[in-house]
Amino acid sequence: MKRKSRLSLLGISALAMSIAAMPAFAKTQLHVIVAHFSDHTLTTFQNAAKRFEAAHPDVEINIEDVSWDNLQQRLATDIAGGTAPDISVIATRWVLDYVQNDIAEPLDGYIKPEFRSRFYENLLKPGTVDGKTYLLPILASTRALYYNKDLYEKAGVSEAPKTWDELKAASEKVKAKGDGAYGFGIQGKEIETDTYWYYPFWSYGGDIVKDGKSGIGSDAGVQAANLYKSFIDAGLSQPSPTGSNRQDIETLFKQGRLGALVSGPWLRGQIASEAPKLNYGIAQMPGATKQLTWGGSDSMMLFKSSPNKEVAWQFMQEGIFSTETRLEFTLSEGFLPVLKEEMNDSRLANDASLKAFADMLPIAQFAPLMPQWEQVVAATTAALQQIYLGQQDAKTALGAAATQIDGLIAPQ
Amino acid sequence: MSRPHLLLPFAMLLPSFALVIWIMGYPVADLMRMSVHAVNRFGQAGNFVGALNFSKLFADPLFWASFRRTVIWTVCVTSGTIMISIPVALILSQDFAGRSLARLIVLLPWAVSATMTGIVWRWTLNGQFGMLNALLLKFGLTDQPIEFLATGQVAFPVAILIGILAAVPLTVIIFLGAFSSLPGDVFDAARIDGAGPLNTFRYMTLPLIRPFVNIAIVLNVIYAFNSFAIIWILTQGGPANSTDILVTYLYKVAFQYGKMAEASAMSLMMFAFLLVFCILYARFAMRERAL
Repeated sequence: MKRKSRLSLLGISALAMSIAAMPAFAKTQLHVIVAHFSDHTLTTFQNAAKRFEAAHPDVEINIEDVSWDNLQQRLATDIAGGTAPDISVIATRWVLDYVQNDIAEPLDGYIKPEFRSRFYENLLKPGTVDGKTYLLPILASTRALYYNKDLYEKAGVSEAPKTWDELKAASEKVKAKGDGAYGFGIQGKEIETDTYWYYPFWSYGGDIVKDGKSGIGSDAGVQAANLYKSFIDAGLSQPSPTGSNRQDIETLFKQGRLGALVSGPWLRGQIASEAPKLNYGIAQMPGATKQLTWGGSDSMMLFKSSPNKEVAWQFMQEGIFSTETRLEFTLSEGFLPVLKEEMNDSRLANDASLKAFADMLPIAQFAPLMPQWEQVVAATTAALQQIYLGQQDAKTALGAAATQIDGLIAPQ
Repeated sequence: MSRPHLLLPFAMLLPSFALVIWIMGYPVADLMRMSVHAVNRFGQAGNFVGALNFSKLFADPLFWASFRRTVIWTVCVTSGTIMISIPVALILSQDFAGRSLARLIVLLPWAVSATMTGIVWRWTLNGQFGMLNALLLKFGLTDQPIEFLATGQVAFPVAILIGILAAVPLTVIIFLGAFSSLPGDVFDAARIDGAGPLNTFRYMTLPLIRPFVNIAIVLNVIYAFNSFAIIWILTQGGPANSTDILVTYLYKVAFQYGKMAEASAMSLMMFAFLLVFCILYARFAMRERAL
């Protein structure tokens, strides 16, 4: 009697459990991690998920946004713990790590030619390893010269500088006339300190990696570092650049205290909301023997470990890369579009300042793909900081960093 | 039936003991495993490599520079904190009007996380828009804004001062407890015997609060040695690694460079270093009292 009732209790509880668990069995769950580009990012992707769920009632999508600073660490922890998402945003330059450790799923089997042809082809290249496509770009950016028209006019500079020498001359005039304003902002602290120096480095004909060796110790490297150092020594930049990160020089520019700086498309949106009265222009990246600009992109990656790769791919194709989602993303984030059809939208086509950045896509150079990239960045940044501080001359510091980087590149 | 159970106390301790072993022991065991294997960026272990990760670490000049700086940082923050906290606690233990308010003000920063302290100071110290520079300029103490965080020679001492500021509240609480536990009659006797305040402090208060000083030193050393937020937020160890201490360098090695195995080796060494310090300190400094 007692035993019987216990058995029936078991049966009931088992039944209850299976009922409670049913929806989870019925619906395919997708977990998508996106980077927090702005406060609008999560909404954009959630809208895409809602539309997709409406069309596919058997799918449930969970979108999570993670700040850029934590993304790399978060994904590493999730992968190690076996709880990796199905899809995630990653910085395109991380691709090698994910491919070499067999975490990224190659997408060539999924991509149809008509889908592929919607992308700007050169943006697919950085996410391609050994001929296989692993990443789809969701944004692109280039860098351009922002200059303060009022300060330039007051200083008697009539045209935006086209070369680094012209920029220096303009900065001297701004310094002489500009009521304590600085001529040109130089970034010397934290993320992208190295990038800020690749701009002149590339113009002088330098290569980050040449023939499998670091090229930063070359003449072009020394020339570029000495150029910035001459700005610092002559008081043409803000004082002590090693105390200024990207936001610091952008703030100076927004306050009208900086003649010019190099930045990306995001700064337009910030100026519009924070310093709407600032009278500024956007010009192409200054050149020297060459004219090149920094190209960057972030991408979506499909995880090999995902149990629902087919559905995840379907969400990428129909959700994330639908024209509607792409437009919502590009318009709210202010980055460059990755799909050609986006430029058909009048809001993007008539945006002159966006066009200034988009026009530079053909001369955009992407950072080389190498597995130890973050360490290369750290070595380069430390060398530049020593030069800016006057602790070492350009040739010594960059030469030592190049030797260190050669050791990182060489197969271990 | 009434026979005392010899094993019972141990049996009752077992669950909590097992929990501690699980929480403390598992990560350390995992670190040990990772430190002797090749591990990729995603924490997945590969081949056994023996002491290779340790020898790589020993050959890294940045590791040794960070180690040296960690010792300076820990010694300065701990000694500074204790030297400030004792007089502050002494004042706060006196009876005066508004004492509760003064106590609240001193202890309030404890409620603020080190991260927030770091962010506030980063803004305050900013060379172009910082409040401190605005003040210095206004009072004519300097005619050029000072970039406090642009060079290691200035940024590191500044970080130490902020580290002290962040550690003072907890230490003051420890000493407030110490002073309130002092026996009043001994001090009354001393006063009747004509001992001045300086002598009272030197020969009575200090020896009596000695155990509390020991606790404060051990707690502060552990706290400072592992304190990441302040330096990371102020300078991220820069410029050119000139303010890196072991924890900030550890974070870079692990999560920026993705060298999990070397990072594991480094954490193990930090753990061992702290452990040895605490054991030695307990043996030499704390034992004196028992004599």
